[in-house]
Amino acid sequence: MKQFLLILIFFSIAGWCRAQEIDFNRQIRPLLSDNCFKCHGPDEGKRKADLRLDTEEGLRAELDDHRLITPGKPEESELYLRLVHEDEDERMPPQKTRLKLSSSEIELVKKWIAEGAKWQEHWSLRPLGNPAPPPAGESDWPLNPLDQFVLRGLRKEGFSPSAEEEKARLFRRLTLDLTGLPPGLEELDSYLASEAPDAYAKAVDRLLESPSYGERMAWDWLDLARYADTNGFQGDSTRSMWPWRDWVVRSLNANMPFDKFTVEQIAGDMLPDASLEQKLATGFCRNHMINGEGGRIAEENRVEYIFDQIETVGTVWMGLTVQCARCHDHKFDPLRQRDYYQLFAIFNQTPVNGGGRDPATPPVIRAPDSLQYGKLDELNKGITAAALKVERVEERLFTREEGQSASQSEAAKELPKKVVEALSRGPADRNPAQLGEVEKHYKESMAAYSALLKKLREQVAEREKLEKSFVRVMVMQDKPGSRKSFILDKGLYNQKREEVSAEVPQSLPALPEKAPRNRLSLARWLVDPSHPLTARVTVNREWQKFFGTGLVKTVEDFGAQGEKPTHPELLDWLASEFIRGGWDLKALHRLIVTSATYRQSARWTAQLARKDPANRLLGRGPRWRMPSWMIRDHALAASGLLVSRIGGPSVKPYQPKGVWAEATFGKMRYSQDKGEKLYRRSLYTFWRRIIGPTIFFDTAKRQTCEVRKTLTNTPLHALATLNDITYVEASRALAQRVLEKAGPEPTARVTMAFRLATCRRPDADELKILLGRLAILKEQYSADPGAAAKLLSVGDSPRNTKLDAIEHAAFAGLCSLILNLDEALTK
Amino acid sequence: MNMDPVTQHSAQLTRRHFFGRSSTGIGAAALASLLGGGATAAPGASGLPHFAPRAKRVIYLFMNGAPTHVDLFDYKPKLKELHGKPVPQEYVGGKRFSTMTGNPKGKLMLSPVEPFHRRGQSGAWVSDLMPHTAGIADDLCFIKSMHTEQVNHSPAVTFFLTGSEMAGRPSMGSWLTYGLGSETDNLPAFSVMTSVSKGTSCGQIFYDYYWSSGFLPSRLQGVKFRSGGDPVLYLSSPDGVSRPVRRGILDDLAKLNELRYRDVSDPAISTRISQYELAYKMQASVPELSDISQEPQHVLDLYGPQVKERGTFAHNCLMARRLIERGSRFVQLMHAGWDQHNSITTELYTQCRDTDQPSAGLVQDLKQRGLLEDTLVIWGGEFGRTPFIQGNLKDRKRWGRDHHPYAFTTWMAGGGVKPGITWGASDDLAINSVTDKVHVHDFQATILHLLGIDHERLDFKFQGRRYRLTDVHGKVVKGIIA
Repeated sequence: MKQFLLILIFFSIAGWCRAQEIDFNRQIRPLLSDNCFKCHGPDEGKRKADLRLDTEEGLRAELDDHRLITPGKPEESELYLRLVHEDEDERMPPQKTRLKLSSSEIELVKKWIAEGAKWQEHWSLRPLGNPAPPPAGESDWPLNPLDQFVLRGLRKEGFSPSAEEEKARLFRRLTLDLTGLPPGLEELDSYLASEAPDAYAKAVDRLLESPSYGERMAWDWLDLARYADTNGFQGDSTRSMWPWRDWVVRSLNANMPFDKFTVEQIAGDMLPDASLEQKLATGFCRNHMINGEGGRIAEENRVEYIFDQIETVGTVWMGLTVQCARCHDHKFDPLRQRDYYQLFAIFNQTPVNGGGRDPATPPVIRAPDSLQYGKLDELNKGITAAALKVERVEERLFTREEGQSASQSEAAKELPKKVVEALSRGPADRNPAQLGEVEKHYKESMAAYSALLKKLREQVAEREKLEKSFVRVMVMQDKPGSRKSFILDKGLYNQKREEVSAEVPQSLPALPEKAPRNRLSLARWLVDPSHPLTARVTVNREWQKFFGTGLVKTVEDFGAQGEKPTHPELLDWLASEFIRGGWDLKALHRLIVTSATYRQSARWTAQLARKDPANRLLGRGPRWRMPSWMIRDHALAASGLLVSRIGGPSVKPYQPKGVWAEATFGKMRYSQDKGEKLYRRSLYTFWRRIIGPTIFFDTAKRQTCEVRKTLTNTPLHALATLNDITYVEASRALAQRVLEKAGPEPTARVTMAFRLATCRRPDADELKILLGRLAILKEQYSADPGAAAKLLSVGDSPRNTKLDAIEHAAFAGLCSLILNLDEALTK
Repeated sequence: MNMDPVTQHSAQLTRRHFFGRSSTGIGAAALASLLGGGATAAPGASGLPHFAPRAKRVIYLFMNGAPTHVDLFDYKPKLKELHGKPVPQEYVGGKRFSTMTGNPKGKLMLSPVEPFHRRGQSGAWVSDLMPHTAGIADDLCFIKSMHTEQVNHSPAVTFFLTGSEMAGRPSMGSWLTYGLGSETDNLPAFSVMTSVSKGTSCGQIFYDYYWSSGFLPSRLQGVKFRSGGDPVLYLSSPDGVSRPVRRGILDDLAKLNELRYRDVSDPAISTRISQYELAYKMQASVPELSDISQEPQHVLDLYGPQVKERGTFAHNCLMARRLIERGSRFVQLMHAGWDQHNSITTELYTQCRDTDQPSAGLVQDLKQRGLLEDTLVIWGGEFGRTPFIQGNLKDRKRWGRDHHPYAFTTWMAGGGVKPGITWGASDDLAINSVTDKVHVHDFQATILHLLGIDHERLDFKFQGRRYRLTDVHGKVVKGIIA
């Protein structure tokens, strides 16, 4: 016992000492970055006194007559002495900068020096470690290693995790997170009924395989890819990039590994024998705005498009604010202006000319959207099969040496010229006219062969027709030769300074020596397992999708001025797992949603509310208002109005009159679609850049790359979900649904509507309130049947006129209430 | 509703968490939404104002398209002398003009199209094109030495309103509501209204980034009042939902949300309850705001004949007064159509007719109500217009002037600005600012100063950098402050 106590004391002291030791990256670097880097940081142009504090070398520098830092001796370290200098003119930071370290911050610096001034490389640039999940000890809470990291964090602060969320609520959270839609009642009931221990895991598998999964995951990718249906700026002409959008949905649904997903979007066109799909993927780089204004200088435009491209790549894959290095060396991170223009040089090789009159500026390809893609796929399969049959006949008919074409056979010698010409190609490579020639020639003599050719010809002709209907998508392509690149002073297109050649930033791992300096190498370099940033940045962004906040809150900035990770080892573990598992996004999502961390109850406990209101320690489950696009999808799904068709041209659902006209002096008018296009998922809503869809709030603007989510709570949101036609119609349709399906009892009807919106049954108190309101609404509408008729005529979808109008209107009012419940708007 | 102790406590902690090491932090205003304070007017950032403000609110009459300073305010007799003669090279050498003008060499000078006169006690020069503005010259402070760096509309407007020529930074109204909070609990603190004269050939678009909150919380973005349909998007209840029906639904919605709050204790729920209540209030307060039937005729007359017509500048001016009376912090009126490349003798007259009387009427109306004292009114565009001609001197009907960033005029009134003065001057051809030059960032710094804000201390950390409206520039123009 005594021994045990001693051990305990020993560990406490050891723990205490560890807790007291200064962590350079966490405690010191932010102070230096905030207060000193501006003049003593990476920016060579602005560096004062030839002193730099952002590198180890700089901090270890010998000054003229003394040392900047004498490890262990703050009183002999200029760095510390200048912070506490009595003379105002000598004290740092200078008064005019208005920067100031607090006395406790100065104490930290002192202590750090006293402890030996240990330096660490900035956390996000260090190679990915492979941290082992900490042991959970006695706890049986963790369900996977992720939880072990979370548990340790909670324990450190004296907390324990929350219990698992109630079954129905958790199922709703899961379904919304993975598909962006609420579960149907059948799915819900069968899940609730199942006692199987693997019921949850099976639900996860099912949802990951749902086609809605790709649509849900695509939204965030479209935000960061600044995807829209128009070019932006004054003319804001319409473009047709939706086949690229559909490619994203298809790729996510097919669980394309993220490294491949990356390479194809940045440089799919440069892959050997690049397929149409791979070229289409590069539309990612061309989603930037295009300026078609008359007075603009084309070259200035062209240069700005490249700025946008590299800044987007910087944010999406590296979490670096590369834009800060456009005009000068980065003030905080090791990115030189030269690095910026060396990246520029990589993208500076396309034939894009900067002119903007044609909304689809070359290079462009014609590519299928998902509706056409299915048809194309079917035709291609049919053509391959039909061609094979023809081939088999021709092998016998035109016997020849291996490697020779049918036209070179003896049997082809006497044939008409056009037939020979056709036979010089394999059957699948002949065009309809060529196929027709052979078909005609053998119509009498070899009817069966001719019939096979006819079948092939018809399908090839159909494919040609289909291909002609493909829209033009802007893609990437490099010109022959190489365009020179220069450092541009202040980022001005015509202020060329030193010439630079394509290269990746100096402070990051180098490209293989022999690799060509081009987009393909850049893309492969980004997803090389040794790259310290890509996997960290990616798993962090995915984490944000589920928990609302990243482990690094500044998902867009992993640099010195960004936030440090709350769980650095968890982040590194997730990142290395992600790479180890082959950049498998579905596996990452599965890992997250099957964790005990994710499955916790979202209830705020008094202790957690006090100590961790923002839930950074992850002591409760995620709970936040759905993104506005998901609120719309949710309402359409709950009411049964949703049309779940994947892909195709963007659609124009309801929008108040005059919104486009007012913004453009009447030059553009919104022509609302009709029929099923009103009820497609939000993903397919037409996005005009200068004035986005008014129904969405807190969304990215789709003008430049955005990765951070915003979440506000304003009366304008309430007005939208209470009054927009979409939601009023959804209330009416939801009312109709329950009137038709839930039997005659008001309780059953109210319960069904409530379940469709929240996945649970109302309790007695709630039911009482709802039934009470229903009764009042019935009275109100009985007294004013005209109002009932008006309410029931909102929206284009037909109403079941067999339903009593008063009853229907009263239920519509009640359903509006239900769809506006905090619980209905929140995941 | 009252906050329970847990919420309250967590609120305080959140506050501390948010303030962090930043000088102004994310601001208590941003927290209003998090904390469930909701139904009260939102406070500003801590420590603001930095000193006693001279103005509490701003009405910015933004003249989109760039009014011609040479024809309206910046009187230069020498222009008349040199009419039809080439622009002296020493005034324009090496300067960048829009691609339409290109090299200004050999361009011919153009005399103002209407006569100028000295006005009021102050003797300020104002063209006959602006008779009503001329009538209130003694209330105005003309700044004639403005200059900017941008030669194209959209970047120049963005520069004026956000401090950067590239879209995406917070606009002035967002900065002010971020810093100073709101004094109304049922109307937007920052509103925007747009208008354009009928028959204008211009093509400038009102981009929503002119009133964007940028990286500040999106709650602070300007609320656009519309010229047709609902004044605020989705304001009206749907057909068939009466006020009592809506009231009842919201009462029970609040009850149910309250039950939910008791269950999960998420403060976002109590915020939502108050935001729904606020939405309901706005459904009454906005129509009340827009209902001008109680305005006496003599007040309507101040704003001119178009005042009753929604979507006109005159109507918007009256609405601006009504908004600030009700506690709005920043009203941004934008009137497009000043881009007279070939219409100095035609469309300029329409523009003046539509804006002169309402602008002057607004100042007079504020003054007679005692509101001008602490309301700053600003009138001006994104740059000026060339003192030389664009077009053919012989074709008077098509005379025009091109974009001109090197000298132009704006005016301010009220809000602690000296009345009846002229500040700064351009050279004798109105081509370059020469005396007491005022850069756009100086202009912005001065506006903030009048509102009690040190422009160097109102900042926000984003992507690792502290941003300000004035970037790293700006000097307060002390000489115009009363």
